[in-house]
Amino acid sequence: MTQNPAATPLLACRGVEKRFGPVIANKDINLEVFPGEILAILGENGAGKSTLMSIIAGRYRPDAGSIEINGKASLFVSPAKALSLGVGMVYQRFMLMDTLTVAENILLAADACGRSVSLRAIKKEINLLANRYGLEIDADRQAGSLSMGERQRAEILKLLVQSARLLIFDEPTAVLAPPDVERFFQVVSRLKEDGCGIIFITHKLEEVLKIADRIAILRKGRIITQTTLDRVSSKRDLARLMVGREVVLRVDKPTIATKDTVLEVCGLTGPKGSMQPAFTDISFNVCRGEILSIIGVAGNGQASLCKTINAQTTGQNGTIQFLGNSFDAATWATRRQSEIAYVPEDRHHAGSVAGMDLAENFLLTRLEQSGNSFWLQHARMESDIQTAVQEYSIVTHSSRTLAGQLSGGNLQKLILARELAKNPALFIAEQPTQGLDISATEEVWQAILAQRQFSAVLLFTGDLKEALSLSDRIAVMFSGRIIEIINAGDADSVGRIGLLMAGAGG
Amino acid sequence: MIDDIVFISQITIKSSIGVLLAAIGEIFAERSGILNLGVEGMMLVGALTGAAIGLAGGPPLLALGGGMLAGALLAMLHAFFSITLRADQTLSGLAIAILGGGLSNFLGRPIIGEVGIRLKAFPLPYLSDIPVIGEIFFNQSVLVYLAYLIIPFASYVLFHTRTGLKIRAVGDDAVSADVIGINVTAIRYCCTIFGGILAGLGGCYLSLAYTPGWKENMTAGQGWIAIAMVIFSLWSPYRAVLGALLFGGLTALQFFFQATGIEVIPVYILLMLPYLLTIGVLILVMHLKKGGKDGKSPRCLGVPFHREG
Amino acid sequence: MRLRLEKRYTKPQNEQLLIAVISFGLALLVGSIIFLIYGANPFLAYGVMFQGAFGSSLGFTEVIVKAIPLMLTGLAVAIAATMLLWNIGCEGQFVFGALGATWAALYLTPDWPSYSVLPALIICGAAAGMLWALIPAILKAHFQVSEILTTLLLNYVAIIIMDHLYFGPWRDPDGMGFPGSALFPDAAALPRFFDSRIHLGLFLAIAATIVLHILLRHSKWGFRIRVIGKGPMAAQYAGMKVNREIIRVMLISGALAGLAGMSEVAGIHLRLQEGLSVGYGYDGIIVACLAGFRPKMVPIFALVLGGLIIGGEQLQSSMHLPASIVQVLEGALLLGFLASEALLRFRLRIITSSSPSPSTNNA
Repeated sequence: MTQNPAATPLLACRGVEKRFGPVIANKDINLEVFPGEILAILGENGAGKSTLMSIIAGRYRPDAGSIEINGKASLFVSPAKALSLGVGMVYQRFMLMDTLTVAENILLAADACGRSVSLRAIKKEINLLANRYGLEIDADRQAGSLSMGERQRAEILKLLVQSARLLIFDEPTAVLAPPDVERFFQVVSRLKEDGCGIIFITHKLEEVLKIADRIAILRKGRIITQTTLDRVSSKRDLARLMVGREVVLRVDKPTIATKDTVLEVCGLTGPKGSMQPAFTDISFNVCRGEILSIIGVAGNGQASLCKTINAQTTGQNGTIQFLGNSFDAATWATRRQSEIAYVPEDRHHAGSVAGMDLAENFLLTRLEQSGNSFWLQHARMESDIQTAVQEYSIVTHSSRTLAGQLSGGNLQKLILARELAKNPALFIAEQPTQGLDISATEEVWQAILAQRQFSAVLLFTGDLKEALSLSDRIAVMFSGRIIEIINAGDADSVGRIGLLMAGAGG
Repeated sequence: MIDDIVFISQITIKSSIGVLLAAIGEIFAERSGILNLGVEGMMLVGALTGAAIGLAGGPPLLALGGGMLAGALLAMLHAFFSITLRADQTLSGLAIAILGGGLSNFLGRPIIGEVGIRLKAFPLPYLSDIPVIGEIFFNQSVLVYLAYLIIPFASYVLFHTRTGLKIRAVGDDAVSADVIGINVTAIRYCCTIFGGILAGLGGCYLSLAYTPGWKENMTAGQGWIAIAMVIFSLWSPYRAVLGALLFGGLTALQFFFQATGIEVIPVYILLMLPYLLTIGVLILVMHLKKGGKDGKSPRCLGVPFHREG
Repeated sequence: MRLRLEKRYTKPQNEQLLIAVISFGLALLVGSIIFLIYGANPFLAYGVMFQGAFGSSLGFTEVIVKAIPLMLTGLAVAIAATMLLWNIGCEGQFVFGALGATWAALYLTPDWPSYSVLPALIICGAAAGMLWALIPAILKAHFQVSEILTTLLLNYVAIIIMDHLYFGPWRDPDGMGFPGSALFPDAAALPRFFDSRIHLGLFLAIAATIVLHILLRHSKWGFRIRVIGKGPMAAQYAGMKVNREIIRVMLISGALAGLAGMSEVAGIHLRLQEGLSVGYGYDGIIVACLAGFRPKMVPIFALVLGGLIIGGEQLQSSMHLPASIVQVLEGALLLGFLASEALLRFRLRIITSSSPSPSTNNA
């Protein structure tokens, strides 16, 4: 292994802590990275990985703890300062200025680090580094016209031109096409040979096994496990480490006989107007009495598919059958919005209105169902919300509380209660427990399971544990297609889901 | 006939300079991501300051400097509210417009109609002797020549210098710019203040050269038209010239009809045309944008920047 | 060490009161500076203003007279702002309201029975204001053209149209060349009350306030408007038809501003003439802001601004100071409003580079 205990670590975090108001994003973080070492950071969404990386890269300042670079305590006040000390980050959302060329982007970065170089000199440097690490790119192209792979190469060059020694990647392969992924790995190993330290955040176990030397697993803002890769024998091992020991279902899931088919999607491609369809040839059906999960790593087309099925965007091709009525992809969008219960991913902006009170939020999508009266029925709104608050044990002072003041879990329960109050034939939930704590997660799960009795449930999730706990069937999505639909009872097949999500085929 | 065309062309240029200067200033502010709706107020304050200094016997340069400083001060106020306090840029700009209008009306009351400095046409040697063109372009006030210089300068700075690169970076993607270490706040302040300086200069042009002397609300909406012309220009100084000339041309037609007594179009319709034309131009730009041709509006325009943590 | 703004996670109590106090404090401060520059004693000047506005019953009734159009334009701005539309064009819609009323009074109703004249005036005034607001509404809903610029530019156009009318086709034939329309017939004058210039417009404005308040708070339509304004993404998610509401709200806004113009011309001037458009539309923006865009608060701040305007007039007549100080105070009030709002959203914190920041608060 490359790790040498005697060497000075490139980076050492000591007791780093970060809060956003009342929310603790990171606590007690102790982490070291040595030259020539690749560290993989794993963890669920909202575990605090990105925040931690942003702290190391100087974008956020820690509330407590210290960071040492090459053994010297450093306080980064800005990303530029961090970069001039050799620490650079490639963010998940690439930070290139689209309207400028690659060379101009890199020039500005150099300029901000206090190096005044000419555009010509920068281009020379770019070419030199590009040849050395296999990062070929046309420096005169506008960043906005680059493919994802090219953008990433430009980002890496941006750091290397500043002689970065520690490179941080936030889900570097999430948006890359397979050949670019391969290429990225080659670049990373060359950087490693040159003695750079690499940190990368990922969800894909395959990659961890392939290139990482060491892993750190974050949960709820803390590092729960740090281990070297030689102690991990298989993907299954790794999966267990990542999800926690309780892969066993903790939710009581009685079997229910499935009833009539509520939704049948056939050959759906979309959305309309996009050059490259986000999802292609999607076919599945959901019956009353079952939960179908559509699972996949973020960026594989689920979000877009969810929007089209919710009739918020229009599809290009394909048909949708809803309760026996057939719609083509275009007409669906105008017809069905009010009859579908839908818990959206963004509960703070889409699912609720932060500046309005609970009773009003409870009415948000139920306006049509609440009768023909021109007026709001305040008394009924009040009793509705009271019932919901009790039924779903939402913790709040009163129905006059603003939705923005609820905790994430309580807000999600409110949205769930509202959507289920529609008594829908089809219930769609999108990442329903993202960022929620254990108890809220359990409650949300119970509610979704219970709804199976009355509705067909379609669950979009990136969380394998959630899919396994709730679903009757699991459809795995990768790069816009449903790769396979797996029966949750089929233990052998279930084991392969993680691999399918990572696009690792059979 | 030729004489008429020369007359109209000359006045077209004369009438477009105020809007043009303000528009170029606003291009800088908006390129950096700050929507400054206070241009009208800054122009008024600039016009009053210039006129007042001139009236008090100050030399023309001092009058110009004073006018620009007044515009800059109001712009600084807008910058403080919209950048530091992250207030709503629409409301802050409106407040500046109202405040500037009020200040100029209040403080300018005693000097209404009095004329101190009159920057007369200054024919450039040799150049003004060129037939037709010389009369149109080079028999103008010094401030017009200054505008001739400012246009290419502004375009050069914006598109061919490192400073311009940074300005565009901050306006298009403040978060990315911040991540690589560009000082978003400083650049936005500078651009907003530069916008105020040019708006003040545009005001000075009105009160020292175009229609010398101070008159209440003498800008008559030119500040607002400048803002609309910025959208029309797709944030490029050269195209702003085109917009300003359109405005100037309509104004020149009014003069022409008045001077000659011909009334092809009723005067009140002519008076409305600059405003209606500006609205038409806005529709056109938006329509093109809808058709897929993306108007290159700075992507962070009007969005306050704040790095958490 | 440096200064930073940090997000507040708790709201201070008495928010609205704080905003008002800070805004006025700042405005008075700015005003004082301007008075000093002008060479006037600010205390004396403010004293005169206050005395003029609230010191006598005559002054106070005039304050109410001013507050009538301010209430209506304030409501017009507030209802549009409720769904994040900036109607800066109240001035133009005000002018059109006046034009509509003038047309009704002089050309439509002269032969009508007297009881039908006032309703016709009111309807025509509101309709004309709506018409003028319809243009930016359509441009916004269908071409995404910023309503800020279009409404504003249309103000200039409206004023030019009005000038043209009373200088030209509508000029009083018996007016001896005086620019202005003929005097309204008696039946077309809004009745006045309390032995003062307070006219029927007051009750229209109060009624509009109540109706708007009830609609916004208690109707499903108002609910939709509020959702669109406070959570545009949520409105999309809930399937609300935003474009349709843009048009509706702009029409209502235009109607209110039109009513203001109607009541001003039929209640005070009784003819179309110069001095009708004195910026009530712009003042409405300030009224609406200070009222936090809530209709029920609009009358209070309309009175305050009305007081300011009367005070300014008093200043002009007794101290010979330009009444445009009012405009300065208005601009400063708006800035004060923005500053106090910022201070309520964020807290100022001094950061020293050596110590990590302490925790904010746990609420």
